[in-house]
This record gives sequence, structure tokens and C-alpha cells, in this order.
Amino acid sequence: MSEPLVIVDGVRTPFCKAGSQLAGLPADELGRIAVDALLTRTGFDPGLVDEVIFGCVCQPVEAANVARVIALRAGLPHGVPAVTVHRNCASGFEAVTTAAERLQSRHGQVFIVGGTESMSQVPLLYPETAARKFAALARARDLPAKLAALSAFRPADFKPRIALKLGLTDPVSGLNMGETAEVLAREFKISRQRQDEFALRSHERAIDARARLAEEICPVYLPGGKAGHAVLEDNGPRADESMEMLARLKPVFDRRNGSVTAGNCSQITDGAVALLVMGESRAAALGLKPLGRLAGWAYTGCDPARMGLGPVSAIRKLEQATGRGPGEVDLIEINEAFAAQVLAVLQSLGDVPQERLNVNGGAIALGHPVGATGARLTLAALKELRRGGGKWAIVSACVGGGQGSALLLEQL
Amino acid sequence: MESIHSEVLENDARLLTFDRPESAANIFDAATLLELNEKLDEVEQGAAGVIFISAKPAIFIAGADLHALETLGGDELRKFIELGQDVFSRIAALRLPTVAAIHGACVGGGYELCLACQWRIATADRATKIGLPETQLGILPAWGGSTRLPRLIGVPGALDIILGGKTLPAKAALRRGMIDDIAPRELLLEASLKWMREGKPRRRRLQAIDRVTAAVAAPLARRRMEAKTRGLYPALPKALDAVALGAMESVADSLRRERESVLELAATPECRNLIGVFQLQERAKKLRVPGAGKPAAIRHAAVIGAGVMGSAIAQWLSARGLRVLMRDIDAKQVAAGMSRITALYASAVKNRIMDRKESRDGMDRVSPAATETPLTGLDLVIEAAVEKMDLKKKIFSRLDETAPAATILATNTSALSITELGAAVGRPDRVVGIHFFNPVHRMPLVEVIMGEQTSADTAAAAVRFVQGIGKMPVLVRDSPGFLVNRILLPYMVEAAELFARGAEAAEVDAAMLDFGMPMGPLRLTDEVGMDVAEDVATTLAAGFPYHMHVPAVLGRMLDDGLLGKKSGRGFYIHGKGKTVPNPDAARYRDPGAQVRPDRAAMQRRMVLLMVNEAARCIEEDVVAEPADADFGMIMGAGFAPFRGGPLRYADTLGAAAVTAALREEAARSGSQFAPCQLLEEMSQTNRKFYANS
Repeated sequence: MSEPLVIVDGVRTPFCKAGSQLAGLPADELGRIAVDALLTRTGFDPGLVDEVIFGCVCQPVEAANVARVIALRAGLPHGVPAVTVHRNCASGFEAVTTAAERLQSRHGQVFIVGGTESMSQVPLLYPETAARKFAALARARDLPAKLAALSAFRPADFKPRIALKLGLTDPVSGLNMGETAEVLAREFKISRQRQDEFALRSHERAIDARARLAEEICPVYLPGGKAGHAVLEDNGPRADESMEMLARLKPVFDRRNGSVTAGNCSQITDGAVALLVMGESRAAALGLKPLGRLAGWAYTGCDPARMGLGPVSAIRKLEQATGRGPGEVDLIEINEAFAAQVLAVLQSLGDVPQERLNVNGGAIALGHPVGATGARLTLAALKELRRGGGKWAIVSACVGGGQGSALLLEQL
Repeated sequence: MESIHSEVLENDARLLTFDRPESAANIFDAATLLELNEKLDEVEQGAAGVIFISAKPAIFIAGADLHALETLGGDELRKFIELGQDVFSRIAALRLPTVAAIHGACVGGGYELCLACQWRIATADRATKIGLPETQLGILPAWGGSTRLPRLIGVPGALDIILGGKTLPAKAALRRGMIDDIAPRELLLEASLKWMREGKPRRRRLQAIDRVTAAVAAPLARRRMEAKTRGLYPALPKALDAVALGAMESVADSLRRERESVLELAATPECRNLIGVFQLQERAKKLRVPGAGKPAAIRHAAVIGAGVMGSAIAQWLSARGLRVLMRDIDAKQVAAGMSRITALYASAVKNRIMDRKESRDGMDRVSPAATETPLTGLDLVIEAAVEKMDLKKKIFSRLDETAPAATILATNTSALSITELGAAVGRPDRVVGIHFFNPVHRMPLVEVIMGEQTSADTAAAAVRFVQGIGKMPVLVRDSPGFLVNRILLPYMVEAAELFARGAEAAEVDAAMLDFGMPMGPLRLTDEVGMDVAEDVATTLAAGFPYHMHVPAVLGRMLDDGLLGKKSGRGFYIHGKGKTVPNPDAARYRDPGAQVRPDRAAMQRRMVLLMVNEAARCIEEDVVAEPADADFGMIMGAGFAPFRGGPLRYADTLGAAAVTAALREEAARSGSQFAPCQLLEEMSQTNRKFYANS
């Protein structure tokens, strides 16, 4: 077995609902803040980093290869290369496992990995017809030609395409993410009631864990007024969440017969996570005590129309490779893309002890900045193992487009 | 040895390269001008065009030889001025294209050469600075600059540059028409050749337009100038006339006007003192600490305290390329500091000091910390927390435990003892004072204060650090108030007492504005804050009880919440844009106060106190030399620069006169005016502070 990857430390920005406190910060800025906070709190010499690997689904167009932009802006030397990875909702995991692969193939020992997403800043697009007409206008040389080009525009040309919506729709199955959750709710006969209960659980646990979670969060400082403003907390979890409030919400993806609402699915959120990872021997040589070790991982594919079941195949594959399944670990994280989807996974697996699942709340309460979530789950599980004295954790997520992802973590 | 090399390029173009031997700079002394004249002889024999360029890495031509200006008198100086004018006029009259290829500092006489050329091409490098700063030295551009610049860019533009003594980066110079094009360094010569071959001769600005603009712009500029300078800077009205009146005369007459003006101005003490200030600045830039080895570079610093000073220091350092960790006790304090830094950067972008990208890059270099963090990799920590000794000691002893061995531990304290702080740590040799002035982005002076145990190496690293961030250091021995606050305090206290005894605040301040201070002492007290002023006065009164005291009026005003600018009211009322004397302040006067001395008497008292205290700083070795005290007061307190500083001013009066005047005031008002020992001795032996006074 080649050198294992250890996770030395990590930090994340607060996770805030899209359109709220972090909406003004593009993904590269969020990532920079997380990496800067990581370097500050660890005192680690950025010159020792071999590569920066960041997950991001909606990369800002002005910051192509957002990982590189983040690395340079966070003060890493020019000589440290960087790459951005994208496996939809598992991009954060992908960053960690890519580092492990680099380590194994001897392409580096020390990495800063993570994920970042600003879902607030996903752009609105002009339709393709408008783009063609703008280009024609730019080419027009004289006034008559310009007027002719202008007159070609129609109102429909100005109807924006909402890229966020488009991004959350799988082009192969034709279903958006919520619709795939409805498929599972129907097929697995998961009632609205059960979904809302699960959602409430997520909020309750997240509220309960507030003080614990604060340890992994770095402040984001926003200018303004005389005193500026420090964002210190996730703003997704609701202390006042209740079954009544959840029951009042209308289904979003299937108005007439659906059960998936805005309350029982993950929130659309902005945030970034940064982890310091390295080969186990390098950590020892540097005198660092890691949080834990990456003991295995699995990516699988499944039917895009039922993408929510991804964790089932991934967790089974991970079990085959490592000998550890849900029954043999102390903590399990299954990303709460949708309550219906998690419940379907639980039904399929059958052996997940509820009291070990998402113990500090999940994406329904905390939010799901798609590129960053995997990194958050990794960090959160390791921190909770450390706190609770546990040894093993499985963290997993379903992936839009029909994939599953799962990592096995060992506390050190 | 040659200073100018001549080369023939393709198609008979002539390249004249300035490369002064054994010097980092090119300057115009008489020899260089004569050499240039000779080279022009060759050029007139059939060159297709001429390009002037420099071989120095960061300097085109840095102006006229200041040494000549200082030492030549009367006729010799006249000849020197005429020489420059004649040679440049010859270039202007050449019947072939002439191009100045500018990279690096191109100021004063260096830019006047460029003005005589047909075209000016420059690089947009950081080192490239273009302008006419002569008025800052108490003279005016007299080698054709005052004549040719208005004819190139118009009277209002020329007035702005010449009266302001401005030097600009290339992009700004291009915008104003001072240069014609910008080229990358590697292509400067090529670009210049292109302009030489293809440049179309420009139409001269019409004299008629200039007459009109001169008629309108000049009186406005004159009024503004007089309001600002109160007639204390003779170079400015002369420069104004040279530009505005010269624009309406023939070139020959205008040049004659320049010549006569500069000869008058060069003889003034203002000019001599301003050149002295310039030399003090150069001295500060090269300051070295005796007994120190080669100082380590500071690349990564931390500032403890995100308050007004801490955040301003962090912003300045980050703008200069350092990574800065800014730490405070909680997120609220850090947030306020980050907000202040954002505002400072926004303001810099607004004032075109930097662009958006530079501002963002600077902000990226600030790492906020609301909890304790490792200090690995830090070369320097600057503590800028609250002015309380026990808190500072706690911070320092914690730093002593956690910071790497080589890290320098500095404090920005304005009043507390460096020595005492040093005693609180295991390694006092690495403790030093690095004292910035408020506002950090405008005040160039930084006091580097050595405690009793501070090592020479630590002080040297601090001095080098200050120089590296574009500030000017003065080395000070640890004593209450250090240098600048020590000298300012008795002056500000006296101002408060004059007010307390019945004088009007505006009159007290006017007395010192008339002297040449940039701001009156009571206005300054308001700006600094009544609370801060009282704090400093208390510290100094404790340190020097025989001649310093805390004026009661300050306490009275503080008790009623009159803090000065920060609370909106003090001696003045600070409104949006307008500041007026506070009529309400009258009731804080001493009972029965009705003494109203005239301005001259008040000015005399306040100035004498500064002089006396500055002399004490020499007597007590607070600074090594009179030049240090004068430099500190000019750059840190704005002491009338054209007077050369309090000790240079004392020399102009003579120690005997100063001592006698102090004794008079002492007899009238008490021992705080008693002349110090040094002044007494100097008056008896007829000594001066400066050998060349």
C-alpha cells in the first residue's frame, strides 16, 4: 500500500444562503479567505506546498482555474501549480482524492485542497440568438449597418437564461435535481411527513452543534459603515424550524403531486473550505499531528434520473475495498441533497445506524455550496471523530448526473 | 571622462547617452552642459535626428547640480543658469527631429532638456517620474521649464505642475500632455526612432488662447497660493509670474524673467533651507546605524491592534508589498480594522495613487486574525494596541515566548518607555520602538527608538525596514515623548494656556500659521484629540516635572466631553467640510481671563518653547545631531520647512538672542521658559548648532 494521505487541519468560511451575507464575494475571494485563514491558523509555510487543488462547479468566468487564482491571491509562491476539479456535488471529495492520487504517483507530498462555490454569483446568460446579434452589431462598421443590426433584436433575445437553474438540471435525463428526488420519493414511497421530519432533525442538530461547529469556521470580514462587519456563523440553520412551518411550504419541483419542498432539500449556499493535507511521513517529518487519514475512497456511476441513490453503490464499493461498511464505522455523513434522497439511500443500504448519521446536521440546515461540500463533510467528520473519541467515519454524497462518492476516514 | 556618449544609429540618427561616471545618477553640472554643447556641434553636422537617452538603470536625468546652486554666487551662478538656458535653447532651435527617451527619474533640469526636444517618449515603469519640483527647493524651473511647459500644455496645466512642484508617473504625465507616448522599456529606443522618423510636427498652442487662460487662471492660482502660503514662500509668486506673464512675452523675454527670478530666489534663506531639507531627506534614506551588521530584510510582518493606527500601519505595509498579519482581541475589532483598511485603499484608488488591481492585491496581503495564531515566518511584529503599559507588557511577554528568535518586537507607542518594555521580556535586545505618525499614509517620518538594551542590529533592521516601506527614519534614544511629541508638547501646552488666559483660538493658531506651521497648535490639539493630548502631556509632565505641566483647560474641556475632532467639538467645531472656532469653548478659560497678547508676542513664546525643547534633545542626546531634531520636526510636525527646523532657526537668531528672549519670558511667566543649559553655554561661546549656518 502506498503512502496514505493525512489531513492535518482545515477551516471553512461560514456557509450563508445565496443572496445573503456572502453574496457579494465571488468564489475566488471565498476560497482565498479560507486558504488565508488556514495558513494563518496553522502557521504553515506556503513555500512547502506542492500543489493547490480546489473543487468548484460554477467557476467565475473572470477567474478561470479558480484554484490557481486562489493560490496566487492567498500568497502561495508562483512556483506552486494549481488545478480546479469538478465532479459536481462531489468536487470537494475529488479535490481530496486527487491529492491522494498525486501522492501515490509521486507527484507531490503536500497539498492545499478544498472547495469553493458562490451560488449567488452564478450569472444570467443572454440567449444564443442574442449573442449572435451582439456579435453582428460589433462587426457593423457604419451607422446604417449599426442601425440594421440593432433592429434585428427582439424582446425574446433579452430573456435571461438562469445559469443556476440550468446547472442544476441534468441534460442527459432532462430532469433537474429536485425532480430526481421526486422520482425516489415516489419509488421508495417516502412520505412528505418523513421528509419534513428528517429536515427538522437536520436543523435541530445543526443548532445544537453551533458552538462545536464554530471551531472550524473562520470569520469573513465585510467592509461597510464605520465598523465593518464580521460574518461568524452559518445562517442556514433555523432555531425556530418546526413541522408546522415545514408543512406550510409548497412542493417546488412537482406542484401538483410532489413532496419535495424548499424546506426539505439542501439550501443554495455560498461558502468555501480549505484543508491542509500531505503524505503521512511528511507530516511526521514536519512534526505535525494530523486530524486523520484518508483510508479509502470510491466513485461509482448510476442512473442520472436516480442520481440520489449514488451513495448506495459508492458505499458498497468502499466497503468491498476496505472491509468497512456503515455498521463498522462510528460516524456516517450522507450529504443531505434532499431529505427524500437520503431516506431512499438509508432504505437501500438498510444498515445505517441513525444515531451515527449526520450528527451535527447536514446540508438541509447548513447549505450545499456544491463545489465545497465534500471538503466540509471531510473536515466535519474528522473534527467530530476527534471530539467524540470515534475512530472511523464514512462520508458520502450523491452527484448530479448520476454518480456516487464515498470516503473512508480514520482518526489519528 | 565623458558623461555623454555619442553613437550613430541607422540612417544617420544620433543617439546621445547620458552616463555620468562613478555615479548612480545623471545630473547637469556645468561640465556636463558644456559636454552636451560640444556633442551638439557634431549633431548639427548632418545628423538626421537626435535621441537623448540615459544608461542609468533608474534615472534619466535627476536635475541640476544642487551643489552648484548652493555654492555658486552672483556672477558664477548667473553664468551657470545662462549656460543651461543656452544649451537647451540650442536644442529647441535644431532643425531636425529631437526625441527624449525617458526611463527613470526625469525631473527639474532633466525634464527641461526634454521640453526643449520635439518629442518625449517614456516608459511606464515605477521608477519613471516626470516633473518640475524646483519650487519645493525654493527656486523655479529656470532652464526654460517655466517658458516651454506652458507653451506645450497651456498655462493652467503648467501652473499646476510648477507651483505644485509635482512629479508624476508616466501615465499621468501622458494624460497632461507632458510626454507624447509610453513605450515598454525594451522598445524605448525603437519607439523613439519611430517618433523621430514619423512624428508630425505639432501646432504650437496659440498665444491668444494662452493670454485668455493666463488672465483667468493666474489670478485664481495667485489667490489660492496666497491663502495657502501666507507670503512665506517667495518662490511661488515668482514662479506664477514666470509662467503666466512669461506666456504672454517672447521666449527670450520669458527666459530672461526665469533667469532673474532664480538668481533672486537662490540667494534667499528659504531656498537654502529648503535645499537643506531635501538633503536631510536624502540623508534619512541612507541612514545607517553605527555598529550594526547587514540588516535582515523584513518581508512578513504582524501588526497587533487593529485600531486607527494599527490598521493604517497594516494598510501601508500591505500596499508596499509586505504580507501583514493583523491581530486584535476579537472579530469585532478586526472587522473595524479591515473596514478602515478597505476605506484607505478605496481612497487611494479615488486619488489615483493606485489602480483597482493594486488595491485588491494590497488587501489580499492582509491576513486578519481574531485569535492567537502561530508567528512562524514573521520577521517583525509591531504592537499598536492601547497605550497602557501593563497591557503592552503582557503582549510583549507573550510575544517573547511565542515569536521566533529572530523576530524583531517593535512598539508603535508614542509615550511609553521602550526600555521598560524591553525589561519585561527575556530578550530585550530585539525590542525597539517604531513610531509612526498620524495619518500614516501622509506623514513620512517614523521615529526609531532605541531602548537601553536595544541592539544595534535590531535598530539597523528597524531603520532599514522604515526605509524599505518608503518612510524616512530618525534614530531616537528612549526618553519620554521621544523627539517630536517632546518638542511639540510645551508648544501645544503654551497654546492652550494662551487660550485659557483669554486669547482667541483663531488668533493663537493664526500666529503660528504666520510663522509657517501647516496647522495651528489648537487645531492640532483638536485633530489629535484632547484625550490623547492630555495623556501625552501627563506622561511628559511626569518625565520632566520642572518644565512641563498639564494645562487645566484641557481637563475642563475633557470633563464635558469636548474631545476635539473625534467628538465634533473642541477648540473648534468640526462640521462637514467647515471648521469654525467654538464660541462655547470660552467658558473653559481660567476665571478672570482677559489677556489678549498680539500675534507676534504669542508666536515668539510658542516658537521659543520649541527651540528650547529641541535644544534639550541635543543636550540630552535624545538624537545624535541637530540635523536629526530639525528633520524630525519638519517631517513629523510640519515645522516650517523653509526655516530649516527649530535649531536652524535658532542659528539664524543666534544663541545669545534666543537665550535672552527665553530669560525675558521666564521672568514674565515662569520657569518653563528658562533656557536650557546648552543654549546658555552656546550663547556664552557664540556657538551655532550648524557649522555652516
